[in-house]
Amino acid sequence: MSIVIETKDLSREYLSYQKPEGILNSIKGIWNRKYDSKIALNQTTLQIESGKIIGLVGANGAGKTTLLKILSGLVTPTSGDATVLGYRPWERDYKFLKQISILLGQKNQLWWDISPMDSFVLLSRIYDLELSTSRKRVLELAEMLQCTHVLNTQLRRLSLGERMKMEIIGALLHEPRILFLDEPTIGLDIVAQENIRNFLANYVKEKEPTIILTSHYMDDIATLADRLLLISKGNIVYQGTVDEFVKNSNSELAHDEKVDFEEVIRRFLETESRIR
Amino acid sequence: MKKSFAVFLKRNLAFAKLAIVTNLEYRLNYFVDAIVQPIMTTGIEILLWLGVFAGTHSVTINGFGKDFYLSYALWAAFFARIATSWMYEFRMIEEVSSGTINSLIVRPMGFYEYYLSQLLGYKFITTIISMIIPIIASYYFKLPCIYERIPLASLLCFYYLILVHTISFLVCSVAFHLTKISSFTVAKNLMLWILTGELFPLDLIPQPWRSQLISLPFASGVYLPVGYISGRVDHSYMVHGFISVTIALVILNLIASWLWKIGLRSYSGTGA
Repeated sequence: MSIVIETKDLSREYLSYQKPEGILNSIKGIWNRKYDSKIALNQTTLQIESGKIIGLVGANGAGKTTLLKILSGLVTPTSGDATVLGYRPWERDYKFLKQISILLGQKNQLWWDISPMDSFVLLSRIYDLELSTSRKRVLELAEMLQCTHVLNTQLRRLSLGERMKMEIIGALLHEPRILFLDEPTIGLDIVAQENIRNFLANYVKEKEPTIILTSHYMDDIATLADRLLLISKGNIVYQGTVDEFVKNSNSELAHDEKVDFEEVIRRFLETESRIR
Repeated sequence: MKKSFAVFLKRNLAFAKLAIVTNLEYRLNYFVDAIVQPIMTTGIEILLWLGVFAGTHSVTINGFGKDFYLSYALWAAFFARIATSWMYEFRMIEEVSSGTINSLIVRPMGFYEYYLSQLLGYKFITTIISMIIPIIASYYFKLPCIYERIPLASLLCFYYLILVHTISFLVCSVAFHLTKISSFTVAKNLMLWILTGELFPLDLIPQPWRSQLISLPFASGVYLPVGYISGRVDHSYMVHGFISVTIALVILNLIASWLWKIGLRSYSGTGA
């Protein structure tokens, strides 16, 4: 299998304005501002093979979304280098952008004021797809997600679960080779989560895209991910399979104790929170 | 090359259609924006000029009679509607400051073209409807109007609209560094209110300011097209308008692209 994502010493630092409380400090802030620097991603080096689903796991603020955003071209790194499908993502070459898709579970990517079907026609134009082919594909995906009945309803009128299904169709319409999924099941009920998980599992079997997935629901990771990337304070602390990770963690425990993946991750995140 | 241009064209046509579809979803808002607002502005300006003429006891001001000023007031409000983009500028700024721009910059399209095509699409559909009113009013009240000049005047105003969009793009680039900049838009719009000639005809300003203001590209928004239709300016002014807008477009696009690149480099992906 070929390497589709490669990073070397990839770092990103953010500056944020620090304002001490009170009105006097607000006035002082007009001419004198203090900025705090935070390393969100620290010299990350990794390689990802094509056709794999990578589960990116870490506590809030560990740097997983930053990594995802750099690899998808949303954010420019402070230092280091990365190539995705042979392109530097932050240069946003159209040939690169046509082969990727990013789904941010907490943000709408379709157009709020029009129906999903109108959005999909627009996306077909953006990605230069045949209208008839993309229409067929929308219907296929909608059938799989059981949401054909809402294709012509204004997006703002849909429920969160229906909206997420529409977002997924929008993200998959151009059959991306790499798919970045940032918490695709956030805020959904258990049934909806499971539907989307099953859909993604089937989709991956059929189309074999490379997927980088972040989620706070460990079921998403355990069900879908081939490999696990554990990130802590901007550093990758584990790269390997989910099974190896659980096996290693169990070997460190007392011989009569045995835990599953979700429990291992929970303990890892708890330790993380204490250190932070 | 030929294919990529065809793709570009189809994509931008789709953006223009998006603006039309989106605005027609909210019919009443569209009607108020396209018809009611310019009628109200025209009404206010016409009352103002009637008051001025009643107060001066003079038949002409600066060589033009009352009918010329009423014609100017009538057309200026409708051309000014074409030549402004504050609604889209606020949206562009909001995209950057709230982080919704994420969904646009990871797609194979430009932010500038995306909003420009929407703006042109929206203005096109609005103009077709709203311009019927000054045409009928001019004809009915027999106000000075050279009807055959309307297409060229509209063309200059639409060309100027590209410049307005470029200024919006420039302001929006600043949003990457300064989160809240809506006051920039308001201050800029107030300045353009005078510089375009929306508030009053620029030929009322004393020399040497008059020549200088008319030679600026902003006059192409309202003063030149309306002056051309109502007979205040001749063809040479229009040619000058096209040239000055072109020069401004080149300069401002260079500055805006540079600012945009710097902005994107510092962008954190979660809003500015």
